[in-house]
Amino acid sequence: MAAQKYELILLKNMSQPGYTGSLADYEQTGGYQALRKILGKVPPAEVTATVMKSGLRGRGGAGFPTGVKWGFLPKDYQGTRYLCCNADESEPGTFKDRQLMERDPHQLLEGIVLAGYAIGAESTYIYIRGEMVLGSRILEQALAEARKAGYVGKNILGTGVHVDIWVHRGAGAYICGEETALLESLEGKRGLPRVKPPFPATHGLYDKPTVVNNVETLANLPHIINRGPEWFASIGSPPKSTGTRIFCVSGHVKRPGNYEVPMGVTFRELIYDQAGGMRGEKPLKAFIPGGASAPFLTPEHLDVKLDFESVAAAGSMLGSGGVTIMEEGTSMVWAALRLMEFFYHESCGKCSPCREGSSWLVQTMRRIVAKQGRAQDLETLSDLCKNIAGRTVCAFGDAEVAPIMSTLKHWRQEYVALIHEAEAANLIKSIPVGARH
Amino acid sequence: MNLAEKYKDEIADILSRYPVRRSALIPLLYLAQQENGFITEGAMIEIAGMLKLTPPQVYETATFYTMLNLKKVGKFHIQICKSLMCALVGSDTVIGWMKTKLGIGPGETTADGLFTLTAVECLAACGTGPMMQINDDYYERLTEEKVDRILADLRTTGTSSMKSGPFMWPDRAGARV
Amino acid sequence: MANTTTETVRLTIDGIPVTVPKGTLVIEAARRVGVMVPHFCYHPKLKPDANCRMCLVEVEKMPKLQTSCSTVATEGMAVRTATTVVNDAHKSVLEFILANHPLDCPVCDQGGRCDLQDFSHQYTATSSRFTETKRIFQKEYFSPLIETQMNRCVQCLRCVRYCDEVMDVKALAPSGRGTMTEIKSFAAHPLDCEFCGGCVQICPVGAITSRLSMYEYRPWMLKRADTICHYCGDGCQITVQTKDNDLIEVMSAHGSGRNNGDLCARGFFGFHAASHPERLTRPLIRRDGTLVEATWEEALERTAEQIAQVKNAHGPRAFGGLISGRLTNEELYLFQKFMRLAIGTNNLDSSARYGQLNAVQAMRRVQGTHRWTIAFEDISQADVLLLIGTNITETNPITGLNVKEAVKKHHATLSTIDSMQPAIGTISNIANLSHQHVCVAPEQFGTAVLALLKAVVEGRHVDQNLSRQAPDYVSTISRAVEQLSWQDLTADTGASREQFVEMAESLSKGRRVVILAGQELLRSAGGYHASLNLLDLLLLLGKLTTPGCGFAPLAEENNDQGAVEMGAVAEFLPGACDLSDQEARTRIAQAWKGPLPSEAGVTLMDMIDQAKVGQLKGMVVVGENPVGSLPAHLGVKEAFQKLDFLVCQELFLTETAALAHVVLPAASALEKAGTFTNSEGHVQAVRPAIEPIGESRPDWEILSALSVLLGAELDYADAKDLLKEIRGIIPGYGLLGPAPVPPKVDQQTLTRYITEGFHQDLAGRYTLPPRSERQTGTIRLGLVQSLFHSGKFSTRSKGLVQLEAGGTLRLNPIDAAKLGVTDGDRVRLFNGRGEFTTTVKLVERVPQGSAWFPDHFAQDVTRLFDVAIDRDTKVPSFRRASVSIAKIS
Ligand SMILES: Cc1cc2nc3c(=O)[nH]c(=O)nc-3n(C[C@H](O)[C@H](O)[C@H](O)COP(=O)(O)O)c2cc1C
Ligand code: SF4
Ligand code: FES
Repeated sequence: MAAQKYELILLKNMSQPGYTGSLADYEQTGGYQALRKILGKVPPAEVTATVMKSGLRGRGGAGFPTGVKWGFLPKDYQGTRYLCCNADESEPGTFKDRQLMERDPHQLLEGIVLAGYAIGAESTYIYIRGEMVLGSRILEQALAEARKAGYVGKNILGTGVHVDIWVHRGAGAYICGEETALLESLEGKRGLPRVKPPFPATHGLYDKPTVVNNVETLANLPHIINRGPEWFASIGSPPKSTGTRIFCVSGHVKRPGNYEVPMGVTFRELIYDQAGGMRGEKPLKAFIPGGASAPFLTPEHLDVKLDFESVAAAGSMLGSGGVTIMEEGTSMVWAALRLMEFFYHESCGKCSPCREGSSWLVQTMRRIVAKQGRAQDLETLSDLCKNIAGRTVCAFGDAEVAPIMSTLKHWRQEYVALIHEAEAANLIKSIPVGARH
Repeated sequence: MNLAEKYKDEIADILSRYPVRRSALIPLLYLAQQENGFITEGAMIEIAGMLKLTPPQVYETATFYTMLNLKKVGKFHIQICKSLMCALVGSDTVIGWMKTKLGIGPGETTADGLFTLTAVECLAACGTGPMMQINDDYYERLTEEKVDRILADLRTTGTSSMKSGPFMWPDRAGARV
Repeated sequence: MANTTTETVRLTIDGIPVTVPKGTLVIEAARRVGVMVPHFCYHPKLKPDANCRMCLVEVEKMPKLQTSCSTVATEGMAVRTATTVVNDAHKSVLEFILANHPLDCPVCDQGGRCDLQDFSHQYTATSSRFTETKRIFQKEYFSPLIETQMNRCVQCLRCVRYCDEVMDVKALAPSGRGTMTEIKSFAAHPLDCEFCGGCVQICPVGAITSRLSMYEYRPWMLKRADTICHYCGDGCQITVQTKDNDLIEVMSAHGSGRNNGDLCARGFFGFHAASHPERLTRPLIRRDGTLVEATWEEALERTAEQIAQVKNAHGPRAFGGLISGRLTNEELYLFQKFMRLAIGTNNLDSSARYGQLNAVQAMRRVQGTHRWTIAFEDISQADVLLLIGTNITETNPITGLNVKEAVKKHHATLSTIDSMQPAIGTISNIANLSHQHVCVAPEQFGTAVLALLKAVVEGRHVDQNLSRQAPDYVSTISRAVEQLSWQDLTADTGASREQFVEMAESLSKGRRVVILAGQELLRSAGGYHASLNLLDLLLLLGKLTTPGCGFAPLAEENNDQGAVEMGAVAEFLPGACDLSDQEARTRIAQAWKGPLPSEAGVTLMDMIDQAKVGQLKGMVVVGENPVGSLPAHLGVKEAFQKLDFLVCQELFLTETAALAHVVLPAASALEKAGTFTNSEGHVQAVRPAIEPIGESRPDWEILSALSVLLGAELDYADAKDLLKEIRGIIPGYGLLGPAPVPPKVDQQTLTRYITEGFHQDLAGRYTLPPRSERQTGTIRLGLVQSLFHSGKFSTRSKGLVQLEAGGTLRLNPIDAAKLGVTDGDRVRLFNGRGEFTTTVKLVERVPQGSAWFPDHFAQDVTRLFDVAIDRDTKVPSFRRASVSIAKIS
């Protein structure tokens, strides 16, 4: 069955054969028109209102309405404000921002200038994950072009508007995707999340009012401006989940990759139509709907719609858009351990429950997988998870317990079986040597 | 030679990007790392001086991030993703090949100082796993044959044409990954 | 100072209503009603970091539990701290924190005063469910004085945050991440910092402890005494802990004393000086040219006899007395009473002469007080601060913390005029926090003040009221500064006109302006004039009488201020009254039931001169060592050798004591009771922590015993008895409680000053000092105070000696490179007066063309120094020399 074709928005340019992402290519497809339309002509507050009207919600994970977030900046404040583009993309299962930056950098830059203009930020930073060296080079190159053409920097296109953009590379720390950790890191410090309040809207980068937005979020802006908020709001599942999203499909499917579809298509469609279905003969066993931080779902949830509300109602979250598929035969305990290893490695160490809990969880999980589990381990695991969730400075604590909690919920018998095996082995060991066959 | 002399222009450019000096710390640490593949104590002290920080302030930041090496690494730093998504499509096998091919385990460096092997967490290439990063470059959709060729290329030319270009997957526009 | 207009909010804690100032944290609001929410990372001195997650509480209408350490109390808030949910949360967080903890309480020095122990006990954690492998850190050497046991660390970062936020030192680095986060300094380097001991004190567990007392005690075995540190004018409260008359450790609890629990290296690690093995334990008398041990009876009788003999033969004015400003008020008082009544002379002096008197005389003349008109709180609350001639971190570290607080917490504008450069080092440098820093050579501090005055006048910042009230004063000064040329001012100071203009502007804009002057200014030639001119500056700006504003000279020795107030100088009677003050004379004579000598006494430098020519025949020296401290070319030793009789009351056999005919062993500050007055004028109780070492006795007891033998009967039961007499004699002294109100500017004095008083020396003090052209190839050598020492006494403390064992020449790296020397190289310093060899230490703070040498080890280097004596205040200054330096290969 051929996959249904949807109109591509964000991936449109790059899907054209021969599109290189250069300034000339971008301009040819109507690039930087939104900027010409807005800068110096439409008051910033109106741009914010437009974005609010479009219903655009953050693509970084939390899904917070973008226009509303901008609206939190202090109104009568005259000083410096900052915009940071969150390009730290580190959530396992997610690889869309990388493609947006490497393939169509100007789309992002235009989005950043528009957002910078709307919130009054003259200095903006793209905090790009350190490993993406290629991406940062491409962005630097694109920036050089855009600066030269007068799209970025001082007095853009003679409008008197200043929005400058700097690329800042991270250096390897998942937590720096969390917006306040990102700010700390950008300030040259250890990437530890800040206690909120105060929120970045009032005390962000260098203690100044700051907005942090994801790459995909910002890349949507030129289109919203060009085609109008009503158009955008009509895509997807209005009123709450508008527009398209790029879903990053990975795992046991035929065609893993990035798929831009309107929000509201079902998982079934995404997995079986877009991504070509399961790679081998085995049926689907489990999937993660929104990156490593999202609780696992089961085949029962295949008809859940890919929008914020529906996924939440199913007990998980749409998160960063990373959809990972696991086939029958995959050990869920092992899968949860793999993710737990990730979270243990990435816990910044600030909050005791997360710091100590992640090491405790990972060690317990390793034992269970190594068939050295104990009967009381399951209770300990779920206790620890409960005691971490909601007790930390940032949402990492909730994220790290999602794999274990959700696999314990849906596939408890797998844990039990591993522990039984361990107990059986122990039983054998406890029989005196002479008594064994 | 100290960094300030050798990278005068780069340093000036970096410093010009931030209103608060300390923000230049990570970029400057990268610059220092460029020298020997790792950051020396001397470099940290020099950078502290440039940014009006104390050496412990530089050190605390430098030790937080996995990409900043405070110890020597091989000429080619092979980092294989071992996170769930890559593991589902065979990254453990790749680590296995690498172990036999290089004769070292994760965390080790070959005797000739050429290769350091590290198993790392997700590198945002989950749709094109198994994958690895060698120095600045990504290598995706790894097969045993591909790994062989990459290692051979690196040994002979210091680079490999197998590395990824601008990322796109699935590649409707026809570019090669 | 309580601000009555502060807005408040009302909330309930476990149902108990409480009203707190707006902005109060819930954890503090709870404390107010006696509810202690368990916590590790919270500390009232630090910004909330909410990392331990221990202090969770339930707040009505909030879905999740909140950390009470970071949640601000709001109107109508209802907080629950002890519900089942909250208790379970506390238990679970504790379970996490204990997971990786080694539970090695039996061998932990924190045992018995550990928050982790206490909370665990409170929540009766059953045996841990954690059976996995515990995290183990490789033990690395941390520092000579501070021990770390990182396995015990709960990663609350209190140590790191204290080191940064309060101390501004930033020597501690949390390194690595996650469970493996470890507190280190820099890589594998041992900690190199101010050694304030703050991290030891603030660590809630036993992860950072003091090596000085490692494994020596269990806290509950120790006897405690709250007393005042005897090292500098800041007057910090310390708690000295002892076991069987052994000094074990010093600490200072949060909230205690003027230091609010903060200490410096001297206070925290310097306590062992008192128990140094070389302490004098028995009286010594000179027999056949050598000092031999004697009984107290013998020694006292011999002293009394000799004093009587000299007095009979040459009259009371053949006697001089000298006392250290480190002694208690009671002792200083009794000393001057002894000199004036038992001997009958005003020839007496104290170490306040070395600089403090310059400031006191200026304050008396302009504002009619002999103390500050502000308190420490006014420093931390100031919005504009000017620091001049003070490397405050090293001389007065705790006053320095007030400055740091003003700048870092309350965003005050800081201007600094100093002889150091804003370089980052292992010791915090106040110039780094400065908004306007001018690096000036010490001999030009006065010039910088003149430049500032000129900028104030030219910038039309002169107070309108003052111009109306005292047109003559204003116009005379205006004319005087107009005659100074910017060209000369900038050439002499090396600073630009704009810098002074900017400083003048911020000073004039400030609402609460405080000027702090350090001993580098006060102990240099011209210190008196510069102090007067700084008071003129405040006056012109209209700030002198404004509440919250004032001039604050910093005392280097712990009780210099007390020495002045007790009348332990030739020119003052107790209460810092003029010798000629008839009312005071009558009042005091009545109380003393005896006549006061009326002839003016001579001060230290004159005593030396008189001794040289055989006019002065006997000296009583208490705790001072002029032979060791004054430059050799002044001939103090020769002068003292000529004396018919010299008696010293001392802790150690100093260079001066070695010349004495009788040496009487005195008890140290840790062994006696009394009071000290700190530089802001707080009179604070000194309490004995241990019994006097050996046969030593408090100085007041010795003086009292001597007086009896001399027939003057200055007999007191204890130090309190003396304090009672002091309170009776000094008007207002009785009111000096634990939080005395600083005196106000005396209007009469001020009026006198601005109408006529200013005239007498105005021309002199509004001219530029001679330009000190530095000959090429020479370096300006200065004596400085080091953070790790105070006077010479501290050089006997085993803790401090580990930090700094001897004097090194601090040299700017660029100068060092020119000389071809580096750290540890030997150099020869020489000038027309002599030479001296020492080792080099590169310090970026030291400006080019200058070199610093620590006073505490300066014995031999002082011979190179010039001496100038202030005509008005008789203050000798000998802290500067011009020298050449050569490498010794
Ligand atoms: C542990 C953690 C990791 C995160 N990582 C990312 C990330 O890699 N990229 C991203 O855009 N947002 C990430 N976020 C979400 C950001 O905190 C923030 O919500 C987002 O950047 C806001 O942008 P948006 O409103 O455009 O989504 C992360 C959040 C948490 C708690
Ligand atoms: S050493 Fe002590 S104060 Fe520092 S982080 Fe650890 S427990 Fe907290
Ligand atoms: S005391 Fe509140 S989180 Fe540590």
